[in-house]
Amino acid sequence: MSARGGAPEPAAPRGAAVLSVTDVSKSFRRGVLRRRRTDVLKGASMEVRPGELVGLVGENGSGKSVLMKIVVGLLARDGGEVGRTGTLGYCPQEPLLWEKLTVGEHFELFARAYGLADDAATGAEELLLDELEFSRYRGYRVEELSGGTRQKLNLALALMHEPALLLLDEPYAGFDWETYVHFWEMAERRRERGMAILVVSHLLTERERLTRVFTLRDGRMVSE
Amino acid sequence: MSTTLAFAREHLRAPLTIVLLVALPAAFVVLAASVLGEFADALGGSLVADAASALGAGWSAAFIAGSLGFFQASSSRGADRRLALSGLGVAGVALARIGASLILAVVAGLAAFIALAAETGIAHPWHAAVAILGFAIIYLGVGTVIGALIPSPLEGSLAVAFIFILDVFSGPGMTEGDGSPVSISRSAADVLISSAVGQGSSAEDWIELSLWLAGSLLVALGVFVASARSRL
Repeated sequence: MSARGGAPEPAAPRGAAVLSVTDVSKSFRRGVLRRRRTDVLKGASMEVRPGELVGLVGENGSGKSVLMKIVVGLLARDGGEVGRTGTLGYCPQEPLLWEKLTVGEHFELFARAYGLADDAATGAEELLLDELEFSRYRGYRVEELSGGTRQKLNLALALMHEPALLLLDEPYAGFDWETYVHFWEMAERRRERGMAILVVSHLLTERERLTRVFTLRDGRMVSE
Repeated sequence: MSTTLAFAREHLRAPLTIVLLVALPAAFVVLAASVLGEFADALGGSLVADAASALGAGWSAAFIAGSLGFFQASSSRGADRRLALSGLGVAGVALARIGASLILAVVAGLAAFIALAAETGIAHPWHAAVAILGFAIIYLGVGTVIGALIPSPLEGSLAVAFIFILDVFSGPGMTEGDGSPVSISRSAADVLISSAVGQGSSAEDWIELSLWLAGSLLVALGVFVASARSRL
């Protein structure tokens, strides 16, 4: 993610991993006294390089979103290492938005956070509103949006600054078929420009578009 | 639009908030003040009419600010953390939340002050305004802490209400003496009661109030920092 007030960091050179996850482990304590322990990740490892479109699949509850949150920094890991280079864009599984702010206001807030200049921010916003076809909702508050449109905003905010590494957690949940197709076209365009993209989903049907697919099984990664 | 204004706007857009900003001060100052004196007598305290009205204004500002502080802390943690990770940083998000909290406290205090000014004359209006704002800022800290500990809207709102009720009925004028030590708004209440009955407040009272306000803002800032920080 870009440093505040500066230009976005340049993408890492092709070949060097933009994301490196090594033996990451994570468990959760449950119960009233928090004495029961659930091991979700037991040494997950993976890499994503520039220009790769990588899939991460697994059953419901396998730990995909937990791993994603650890990589982003929303959750602490119990063990292992996470290495990232370049700027980061993150599209969470649940849209993390402010209910009473409008679509346009969300773009403004994130443009400021990413350190985008006014013209770059305006250009990025217009492009994404057009690509995802929700321009007419710019003045709508998030609470007024449908689930699919919220997800469009959720995705657009991750893409605004054209990051070196894009992490997408179930990015097309709630999308109609047309938007789903647009999503993969958008991902493909950005991959060709050198962006490293990791898509997490419990269902990946576009495997021919993917460079690699990792499967999270029993807390560990299996590479196809 | 700055991040601070965006956060403040987020809470002021709720229609219920606007209604409460008008209705609560009116209810506390106009309606409740008339029975507060009787409550105070029953509990061993003593409240003249003007002091009861002034305290009503303080408590309405406190309740509104406490509720808004709770929702600031509880409802936006995920989005705030995402914004911090996107480059605004923990400090940027926390300072924006504190700024928004202060705006909300001023709005709550202003609504209460207007209700009080409309109902009674105020011998020391500036003292009263600062004291009412003091109520709001103290409860901002209370609401923020509760929001950090209790994310559920129902349970959190009940916790704010519980602390508020304890504070009200243990405050100066409602009980014998200078009020119970558990009354967290006591310093603000002392200044407010004095302003309502035409007395100034001592330097000690102002210092005590200032310390409470500074403490409340520091606690709220700490909550926002903890809420927005990365777990890397």
